[in-house]
Amino acid sequence: MSETASWTGLALGAAGGLGAGLVIALAALFGVWWERKVSARIQMRFGPQQAGPFGLLQTLSDTVKLVLKEDILPARADRGPFLRAPLLVFVPIATSLLAVPLVTGWAPLDSSVGALFFLAVPSVSVIGILVGGWSSGNTYATLGGLRGASQMIAYEVPRSLSVLSVVVLAGSMRPVVMMGEWRWWWIPLLAVAFVVYLISSIAEMNRGPFDMPEAESELVAGYFADYSGIRWAIFMMSEYGSIVAASLFGAAVFLGGTHGLPGVWGLLVLIVEAILIITIIMWVKWTFPRFRSDQLMSLAWKVLTPMALLQLVVVGVVTAWL
Amino acid sequence: MAVERRHVGKDAFSVTEPDVRGVAGFLAGWASVFAGLALTARRATSGTPKTLRYPFVKLTLSPRWRGALRLRGALGRDEIPIVRGPSPQYNSVIQGLLDVERLAPCTGNCPANVDARGQNYLIADDQAAEAYELVRERNTMPGVLGRICHHPCEAACRRNYYDEPIAIRPLHRFAYEAYKAVRGERVKPLPVTRTETIAIVGSGPSGLTAALDLMRLGYAVTVYEKDDKPGGALYTGVPAYRLPRDVLHGEIDDLVRMGMTLNLGVKVGEELPLEHLIGEFDAVLLATGLQVSRILPIPGADASGVRGALEFLREANFHHEADVRGKRVFVVGGGNVAVDVARCALRVGATEVRLASLEGMDEMPAHPWEIEEALDEGVIATCSVGPEEVLVEDGTVVGMRMRECLSVFDETGRFAPKYGEGLTDFACDVVVFSIGQAAVLSDVVAGTEVELDQRGNVVVDGTLFTTTASGVFASGEVVTGPGSCIMSIATGHEAATSIHRFLTGVPLGKDRTARPVPVYERYEKAHIEGVEKDRLRVVMPMAHPEERRVDFRSVELGMTHLESVVEAARCLRCQSEVCVGCTFCARTCPDYAIKVERVDDPGSRCLTRYELDLTKCCFCGLCAEQCPTDALAHTGQYELSFYHRDLAVFDKGEMLRDPTPTRATGRDGIYPPPCPLPKRGERP
Repeated sequence: MSETASWTGLALGAAGGLGAGLVIALAALFGVWWERKVSARIQMRFGPQQAGPFGLLQTLSDTVKLVLKEDILPARADRGPFLRAPLLVFVPIATSLLAVPLVTGWAPLDSSVGALFFLAVPSVSVIGILVGGWSSGNTYATLGGLRGASQMIAYEVPRSLSVLSVVVLAGSMRPVVMMGEWRWWWIPLLAVAFVVYLISSIAEMNRGPFDMPEAESELVAGYFADYSGIRWAIFMMSEYGSIVAASLFGAAVFLGGTHGLPGVWGLLVLIVEAILIITIIMWVKWTFPRFRSDQLMSLAWKVLTPMALLQLVVVGVVTAWL
Repeated sequence: MAVERRHVGKDAFSVTEPDVRGVAGFLAGWASVFAGLALTARRATSGTPKTLRYPFVKLTLSPRWRGALRLRGALGRDEIPIVRGPSPQYNSVIQGLLDVERLAPCTGNCPANVDARGQNYLIADDQAAEAYELVRERNTMPGVLGRICHHPCEAACRRNYYDEPIAIRPLHRFAYEAYKAVRGERVKPLPVTRTETIAIVGSGPSGLTAALDLMRLGYAVTVYEKDDKPGGALYTGVPAYRLPRDVLHGEIDDLVRMGMTLNLGVKVGEELPLEHLIGEFDAVLLATGLQVSRILPIPGADASGVRGALEFLREANFHHEADVRGKRVFVVGGGNVAVDVARCALRVGATEVRLASLEGMDEMPAHPWEIEEALDEGVIATCSVGPEEVLVEDGTVVGMRMRECLSVFDETGRFAPKYGEGLTDFACDVVVFSIGQAAVLSDVVAGTEVELDQRGNVVVDGTLFTTTASGVFASGEVVTGPGSCIMSIATGHEAATSIHRFLTGVPLGKDRTARPVPVYERYEKAHIEGVEKDRLRVVMPMAHPEERRVDFRSVELGMTHLESVVEAARCLRCQSEVCVGCTFCARTCPDYAIKVERVDDPGSRCLTRYELDLTKCCFCGLCAEQCPTDALAHTGQYELSFYHRDLAVFDKGEMLRDPTPTRATGRDGIYPPPCPLPKRGERP
């Protein structure tokens, strides 16, 4: 690789990272507001109403508050890892977003192993969670980090298997191709895979009902118990970032994404579909109580993995018919 | 696929899973997942939220809404309740107040339940003479007790918790000084409305108290005193530097002017047999007190130079000469009488006075302030020693041998001194035993049905104060043993009630309320460093020790009019439900949400400002929790307080507005009902 190419690559990478960070920040702004609204309606409340129309600016005011808050470093914390862990969680998730095809025939990172890239890269954030939990020098945070790591690794398997069905059906691991190959009958055919994908994605992002790593009532806030202000906000943003990434990817490969519509129209359709998935994810969180650790593991290995394998068999049979 | 659905609420049901296994269980599990999702979806989409839309929806507040806190009463608007009642019913008045937690600690802790709070209220309003009359309702001689009382009221004073207790005893004295000027027009003979007559033997505090109570009830009362001046132990025992005789006899003169017949110099039992009194009067009260000192039967106790405390005090008080001039005096005992003996000995010319007590310095039964004053004057205290032998040469005392005392009380708290091996000799010329007093009654009761026990005390019922003879009662130290003046006064009230019941034919114990003995928290001494000077107790000026140790002039010099009024205004009016603007709520408030101001001019005292700023209030409730008067009360409308932003600051008028009662809120409009807190005294 020549020097110019590496510089171009670096500049492109930086632009991509900035773009992804911006998308996640905007998505988090919207996502938090939407989550508060959804949870409020489920609990027969109004949710935010004061800041802006429908309380839309509530999250913005919260962000300002978070940024201005004191950045606390616990006395027993391991300074270096503690300060860097939030970014270690955030960066892989932001990176994974690049593999999602946003427009018909185009993805920011159009790779022939895009699906694999999307599944593999966010797993790196496990390290960030472990580091954040451990470096807090706090038993609760460490426990939260360990729980988070074991959970995320366990749910990699059904998640990858569920995406594998689409890969088999589309005959490619390139997300752009997977989206282009989509046919309406994929929806009934891949229903099981979609459910498995959704559930394991929720578990992957440590959200309720799989939020034992955070488990407010037992672990205070899990691995980010000792974080405050902007560093805590980065953890929070990573969570919403992974929601957005999982929803966009799910919308693209399971729901048809842009449906072949050109440019912005396709993007809009994709976003609507993603919002639908995001709503489902929130709906699930505010419906079900938290799982126990053993229930979580048995669900992954005894229910979701067999279901995904079964789906793979069905897809394999169907592919032979095509 | 039998899925058992248990309804657990209107919309909710649970699917029990453990019984369902295999494929059926698998499907049932998924079914329950979707059922749950359907439930929340239905909730989110159907019906309107049940909470209020804020701030677009204005609350229509009920007129009974009044914020988080209210005041029940305020200085200048409401009078504080004065505790009054005829003596026979007074105990039930006190019990009634205690039952509703409206009894001020000072009143509750006083054996005679003197309304000290009312006294302070009146003095602060410049009505000291009225204050005197209020105190005299229960405390027959406020001027005397204002000098010598051991003031249990001040120990219970709520102000102990904040800074320093109110000077209730010096205020008695101040009220007396004010009353002295007007006593000529105020003291009127009490009308005799009943035919029964009562004889009282002994003119000590308890006898005089019973006399006043009975005169108020309309009886004719005759008091017999063996000395040529009245007052009993107050006259013969209490030294003049603590109690000037004009105060004592001035107050007794008032009683005489009210109609009490006083026969002085009459020795009942010798010149006038008790039998005769029983025959002549409808009821007789024995209030003779304790007349003789006990002397320990140790070797040498019969030598010349060994004296009893009471005999010594008599000589010192009456003649200011007790044959100790230029001698060394050794006082055995650690009680208040022993301290009096020691201080008198200095005043009648002793060169060295040593006070030897069995107890340690901290356990001495004498009041700490008396010990301190004695030490200031030059008395030497030797603690934790017990008398072993009086050293005698040629029949005269030359010294005292004392054995070290290891402990005075056993594990159960009984008096059981344990002695060690160490012996110490103290050179001295006079030994005064002040180890307790005893009654000599065998002469008095001779020829009557009044029985004495083996130790020579009257056999008496401890609550009704009856003796074995019908119509003969006993009160004071004859009943209680050596005790305080105010305790004797309390027994005088009880005995008077018994006599009244006896003479009116009411069974003595029937429906009779015993004096309630509430237990009050003992506060640690409050830290007063940094407390504003005008919050602290007025200091009673004392004569200089070097000056006062040589004569019998009063030690306490008295407070000025201004000092007294200021001191009385410090009173918190505990449990009166009337805010006095003490500002302790504002001081307690962690958010500085309360502003309090008051005017303290006598005659126009009032709370001028009380403001509660709800925008600062965190609803912790500490202000109401600590309110000494209980005037500050919760309204139980905390949540609503947040919404009513039009009224962010509640001023005095709003705080005092009476709540409108409704069916839900009950009589005083407070809802929910008060928390079931443990009663005072039960708290750990």
